[in-house]
Amino acid sequence: MAESEYILEVKNLCQHFTSGRGRKKLTVKAVDDVTFSVRRAETFGLVGESGCGKTTTGRTVIRLYNPTSGQMLFDGRDIAGRMNRKLREYLTSNIAMIFQDPIESLNPKMTIEEIVGEGLKVRGNRNKEDIRRQVVQMLNKVGLVEEHATRYPHEFSGGQRQRIGIARAIITNPKMVIADEPVSALDVSVQAQVINLLNDLKEEMGLTILFIAHNLSVVKYFSDRIGVMYYGHLVEVAKGDDLYQKPLHPYTRALLSAIPEPNPLTERTRVRIDYVPERDHDYSLEHPSMVEVEPEHFVYCSPSELERYREIIQNA
Amino acid sequence: MIYDRNNLPEELLNLPASDFEALYQEDIKDEKFQTKPVGFFKDAAIRLTKSKVSIIAFIIIGIIIILAVVVPPLSPYGFNDQNISAKYLPPKMPIVEKLGIMDGTRVLKNRKVSGLSDTDRYPEGSIIEYFNVVTAKGQEMCDVRVDAYMLAGMPDGEYHWFGTDYLGRDLLTRLFKGARISLLIAFFSVLTNVFIGVVYGAISGYYGGKVDIILTHFAEVLDGMPYIVVTILFMILFGSGMVSIILALTITGWIGTSRLIRAQFYRFKGREYVLAARTLGVPDRTLIFRHILPNCVGPLITRAMIAIPGAIFSESFLAYLGLGIKPPNPSIGVLLSDGQSVLLQYPYQTVFPAILISVLMIAFNLFSNGLRDALDPTKRGEE
Ligand SMILES: Nc1ncnc2c1ncn2[C@@H]1O[C@H](COP(=O)(O)OP(=O)(O)OP(=O)(O)O)[C@@H](O)[C@H]1O
Ligand SMILES: [Mg+2]
Repeated sequence: MAESEYILEVKNLCQHFTSGRGRKKLTVKAVDDVTFSVRRAETFGLVGESGCGKTTTGRTVIRLYNPTSGQMLFDGRDIAGRMNRKLREYLTSNIAMIFQDPIESLNPKMTIEEIVGEGLKVRGNRNKEDIRRQVVQMLNKVGLVEEHATRYPHEFSGGQRQRIGIARAIITNPKMVIADEPVSALDVSVQAQVINLLNDLKEEMGLTILFIAHNLSVVKYFSDRIGVMYYGHLVEVAKGDDLYQKPLHPYTRALLSAIPEPNPLTERTRVRIDYVPERDHDYSLEHPSMVEVEPEHFVYCSPSELERYREIIQNA
Repeated sequence: MIYDRNNLPEELLNLPASDFEALYQEDIKDEKFQTKPVGFFKDAAIRLTKSKVSIIAFIIIGIIIILAVVVPPLSPYGFNDQNISAKYLPPKMPIVEKLGIMDGTRVLKNRKVSGLSDTDRYPEGSIIEYFNVVTAKGQEMCDVRVDAYMLAGMPDGEYHWFGTDYLGRDLLTRLFKGARISLLIAFFSVLTNVFIGVVYGAISGYYGGKVDIILTHFAEVLDGMPYIVVTILFMILFGSGMVSIILALTITGWIGTSRLIRAQFYRFKGREYVLAARTLGVPDRTLIFRHILPNCVGPLITRAMIAIPGAIFSESFLAYLGLGIKPPNPSIGVLLSDGQSVLLQYPYQTVFPAILISVLMIAFNLFSNGLRDALDPTKRGEE
């Protein structure tokens, strides 16, 4: 079988959380019918407002959660099935995750060396010298120095901690990294620093990155393709440029209209579009689904909306 | 000022591209820290030693432990050396005796004055003074302070610092022998409790779901049984040795610890760093012991320290019920229980064990409070 173009394929993924029993049973559809694919060595940006299910999507892919339904293929291999040791091993050696909160995601009782070296240890490396050497090498790569290895996380700044998180994720040489809002908790200058670092590492190691963010301006220059999420649904997937120039889904337009312009003249006249699902869609007769409107440009829409979107594209 | 797009000044329209290049290409390279690394326990130790109360409490505990270790072997009397002629001797301590306390004297009430000169009953020099002379039914009666040691025919230089009991056993030796046994019972029962509690709570909290429900309900049922009845049954079944007292204190003692650990596990198992470790493929065992359990160490140590005086107290309580350690072995509880039966005649038999148990409990409580503050992660780094 020829190597597929896609490293990760997610089809109709659902992740529902339930609580309570019987009458009090509550279901939260954190991820509902999400379909997307990630190419080898590309950066796929996943954007959406807080609480729309981005983290849940990422965590389901790496199987911190068991998916309610749907398919997930990594390198052509099913990763949505029953959890067992082999699958766990496969997942953990191929996918790594960088977490949202730089403070929470490092064990406060472990030194940086222990934190970063853990992945190696789990993989059966018992040679302390060797682990130490690799950890130091990795720390240098993310801009930290050897002396930091013996320190505890609380002694570092947010940006430094996030770089430690990155070091921990990539020391095991994964094929794909899920970066869950790695910069949301950092200030703008440090954000750029961390994003540049990720970019460099990506080039150097041929990483595929699933980059999660809640605002479009962060993923704008960084992602090859971008998926926009709204309340558990993926509503639009397109190449970065296409998404900016020809946004189709009303939610994407609303998101784009919310990015401040650096030019004060246009910023003054910028009009924010708001998105009201009840007004913008009429799904009472037709059911929406993910459709490819033009090559590489998917929109979640109903057949009549599809007509409209096609027109927009042609006129553009 | 803001320019209109259409009539921008010339120099702004034809800016060279080089003006738009980043001034510096930042290569991130961090500095070394200037400070020394401070580990968790070192940090806790630093803060603990800043609290005077904790240090004093710690010293007191240390002294009592040392005494419990060295007094019984160094004492001239064995803890079970009986000497009927030396029974009920009051405390007599060198140096202190000159102050008029603990001088080995005792007041005998309502004695015939005429009898005082009987040297068979009162050897020469044994009478210190007599007072409260009253005449009743034609008899002259008085209270008399006697040297009880001389009265009992003890050779000179015989000192029982804390007196003797009804079998003439030296109470100083017995008290510290008893302290040793009480402390051992407390340490071991707390140790077993912690061990069972940690394992039980960790399994219950980490795996959650059905396992948790079953384990929690089992613990609740056990907890609901009347403690005294269970303990008594237990002691009847296994006799009253040290091991069976430890086990009796363990029956329900671990439940508190397991609840604490379970709650901590629920709190910490969803933490991002635990998830992060899981995505690296860290096995459950390592997650439990390396990532989650260390968060429980603070509360656990504190709890164990608080449980020690509790266990000492429970042991005394069992002794009062007659379920104490098997004679002739003493424990603080046994001594208290023996002492209170003759409390009015020989109060010293109760006073010394009572002081010791009080001091021990206060010291342990103060020390564990200090320890709790020192191990509290939210106080880290505070001066
Ligand atoms: N373990 C869980 N149990 C129940 N509901 C959950 C759970 N995890 C997430 N949810 C719910 O799923 C929804 C999506 O959450 P998620 O954390 O994926 O959002 P997010 O897009 O990552 O938001 P943010 O940008 O704030 O990180 C939320 O409504 C949340 O309350
Ligand atoms: Mg999130």
